[in-house]
Amino acid sequence: MTDGQQNIDCLEALDRLYEYLDEELTPVRAEEVRQHLEKCAPCLAVSQFESAYLKFLEARAKAREAPEALRKRLLERLLFEPDEPAGP
Amino acid sequence: MSDTSGPRREAFEAEALPHLDTVYRVALRLSGNEAQAEDLAQETMLKAYRSWHQYKPGTNVRAWLLTILRHTFINEYRKARRRATEVDVTRIESFTVFEDVQEKDPEGKFFDQIVDEDVLQAIDRLPDEFRETLVLSDVEGLPYAEIAEITEVPVGTVKSRLFRARQALQRELYDYAVEMGYIKRRDE
Repeated sequence: MTDGQQNIDCLEALDRLYEYLDEELTPVRAEEVRQHLEKCAPCLAVSQFESAYLKFLEARAKAREAPEALRKRLLERLLFEPDEPAGP
Repeated sequence: MSDTSGPRREAFEAEALPHLDTVYRVALRLSGNEAQAEDLAQETMLKAYRSWHQYKPGTNVRAWLLTILRHTFINEYRKARRRATEVDVTRIESFTVFEDVQEKDPEGKFFDQIVDEDVLQAIDRLPDEFRETLVLSDVEGLPYAEIAEITEVPVGTVKSRLFRARQALQRELYDYAVEMGYIKRRDE
């Protein structure tokens, strides 16, 4: 163990689970979760389930592009807007 | 468009326009319908163009655009949003769907049978502040700090909203999957 790393219990590990899966934790805090999951099968199972859920959400909700008509209309509207120097 | 391009237009087209897809997708989930989403996205981009002098070069242009989008939605569109029955996010407890499926489907294979449109409809039933947080995170993949900036709340609030939104959505999708016969309820 290094740099103030601590053993954490199930409650703490699950409390941090989404931050862990989202890669929002500092390396030390993430390592604490990783080590807990390594030795705790019930928490590992939750983690695997939630990880599958987040991948599913990402795949389902993703990548709808703006309609071409919107892009065209916007570019046309911009032509009627006055241009000005970009900087102050 | 060389005859009409000046410094502002060039900068805007190079930096802001590439984010139109993101602006449109978030507008779609905020407003709940395609016609309004187009209006909202267009208005956002025009407002951004008109106030381009307020954008500080080198800062996060995506967050800036999404902040304009959010204010425009709240001020002009939110009242018109047709409301489906909202999902209750107040009584969410941790990881209860997993408890229900851990024996029959611990890998969550039932999710695979749920199609895009069903997921989007379930997202649309989340209350505003939970929906926007989940969309920025799980549709657009933004980091917590950027979501906090756009939605004007502390990072801790983003975390708790995201937790509730994800768990409430998961419960909705699970109930839907049971209803459709994709998975049997725990005690069946």
